[in-house]
Amino acid sequence: MRLTVNGTEHDVLSPPLTPLLQVLREELSITSPKAGCQQGGCGACTVLVDGEPRRSCLTPIASIEGASVATVEGLGTPEELSPVQAAFHEHYAAQCGFCTSGFMMAAEALVQRDGETSREEVIEALSGHICRCTGYVKIIDAVTAAVNGDVDTARVEVDQSPRGDEAVTLIPGSPA
Amino acid sequence: MKAVGARLPRYDGLAHVTGRTQYVDDVRVHGTLWTKAVRSPHHSARILSIDTSKAERLPGVHAVITAADVPHNVYGHLEALGVPGDEPLIAQDEVRWKGQVVAAVAAESEEIALAAVEAVEVTYEEREPVFDIRIASDPDAPTFHQWGSTYPHFGPHNHRRVRKGDVDRAFEDADLIVEGVYRPQAIEHVPLETQVALAVPEPSGRLTIYTCTQAMYFSMGVVAAHLQWPLAKLKLIGGTVGGGFGGKVDTATETICALLAIKANKPVKWRFTREEEFLVSSTRAPWHIELKDAVTKDGWILGRRTLTLHDAGAYARFSPYGVTKHAFHHTGAYTIPNVRFDGFVVFSNRVPTTAMRGFGVTSVSMATEAHLNRVAEQVGMDPLELRLKNANRIGDTTGNHVVMHDPSTVVVTLAAADAAGYQLGEEYRSMTSERRTGELLPEHLVAQQAPDGDHLATYNPATTNGGAH
Repeated sequence: MRLTVNGTEHDVLSPPLTPLLQVLREELSITSPKAGCQQGGCGACTVLVDGEPRRSCLTPIASIEGASVATVEGLGTPEELSPVQAAFHEHYAAQCGFCTSGFMMAAEALVQRDGETSREEVIEALSGHICRCTGYVKIIDAVTAAVNGDVDTARVEVDQSPRGDEAVTLIPGSPA
Repeated sequence: MKAVGARLPRYDGLAHVTGRTQYVDDVRVHGTLWTKAVRSPHHSARILSIDTSKAERLPGVHAVITAADVPHNVYGHLEALGVPGDEPLIAQDEVRWKGQVVAAVAAESEEIALAAVEAVEVTYEEREPVFDIRIASDPDAPTFHQWGSTYPHFGPHNHRRVRKGDVDRAFEDADLIVEGVYRPQAIEHVPLETQVALAVPEPSGRLTIYTCTQAMYFSMGVVAAHLQWPLAKLKLIGGTVGGGFGGKVDTATETICALLAIKANKPVKWRFTREEEFLVSSTRAPWHIELKDAVTKDGWILGRRTLTLHDAGAYARFSPYGVTKHAFHHTGAYTIPNVRFDGFVVFSNRVPTTAMRGFGVTSVSMATEAHLNRVAEQVGMDPLELRLKNANRIGDTTGNHVVMHDPSTVVVTLAAADAAGYQLGEEYRSMTSERRTGELLPEHLVAQQAPDGDHLATYNPATTNGGAH
């Protein structure tokens, strides 16, 4: 079995009916897709298979032989965030973070689509995802910004340990 | 104060959006074994026999443990506060709820672990379970808990009590009495990350435990107590929680992982399935709350009688603490000068209940607010105006004789009314939190008031005719 994950081709050794989620996490140690329910109910394991969002927990690898898989690890880095990542960071769309990867990959599929996307379409596209911290408004804000190009990745600073007065100047638009 | 109102970056924000946050299940340790539990299929039963020999002989199984493998099996979540323990880590002689762990296995794969669970032979003698706490709290009802039907360790009492003022007189003086029964249900926390731990034996003889706990040092103490190990031999790594909401305060998986890791001398991981999370992880408690208010026809609440039954499930865990918080908040944000509160922690054959986002408080807040609407309807008064009239003010005392020095009921209620475009009478719209005077200080509220001035230093609870018991 061959799979391309985030641009790298892999020879996969797991049996053909192994779920893609298990192959990614246990065989390839790509851990951003999460095992939230392993029955297709929560969306935390969502990855892109040839550009389409898929529940990796319900996708046997035999059904996607030769496909190209994208996960959050392939989007951007802390130093160079992708538009979806920058939007999630800027809009505080990640709370505990466990559902975030799945939401971001669904958002990435929307971004890659052509044409305008309304807030209602964003809500529809994210409706299969559960955030139990219930941070939906911030997530929808972030994805709506990302799909409409309303995010400037250069504005989002990457210092992870701001201290004192430095802390309040990192994100522009702060009233302080 | 520069940070107030500023948009600060989250310290873990970049890790979250780049998929680099390492949750327990993301930790990779070579050769890690899978854990599965043998769970009780019955709500209440005596255990007649457990035979693990077939499971132990299965290829790929590295350890099987039962109660006999736990150095100190019975423990209580409140032992540090002097409350005796009541809950075994692994069931011994009997099971008290469906899903209680009877044995646990560690194997080279999830499939082998499941086969090993199937191979453990347990025979039971079923007993009649109790699910309705109203029936369970009947003195004639059969009991299964060694302490009887209710938790008995509230100081000298077998339930949490609050006493203030003269309740009997309040009910004699009332124009009407408004009664209500409120029954908030059990709620599962449903964190996206299910309960998970990974225990790794170190060459030094210590044990490293990765855990999703919300209460690191608490978990450390619980593991050490069950193992009878010094804390210095345990290294717990955590702080990254994929949702908890109170459900990860109980030590759910760490200790059994630790015991299996020690016995197998290999790293051992236990991750609950979603089914386990729903069926056997602890929930918010269901409650049965009876309120009875003595009310005047112009909307003053003279007194309140409260009976609360808190469904602890099969063991105590944090329930006594929950019912204590419940007692402290049982009058809501309102001043009721005469109260009599009796709150019982009742045992049932349900999954043990635990903390969840303000547990103990949310249940009684729901009951109080629903009840005030009922009072307002029966008095024929606007529900917000009734609340404002009875709202806590500076110098008022709570049911537990705590003096209010900065209550926010009035300002919050007015702000909420304003935001909702809710019309209030002028006398209510102009209310403040200042001390009661004039018409807002009727005779029945005089005795409960703390003296003016430095009331925190000088107030004497004895002046309110009795203390909290």
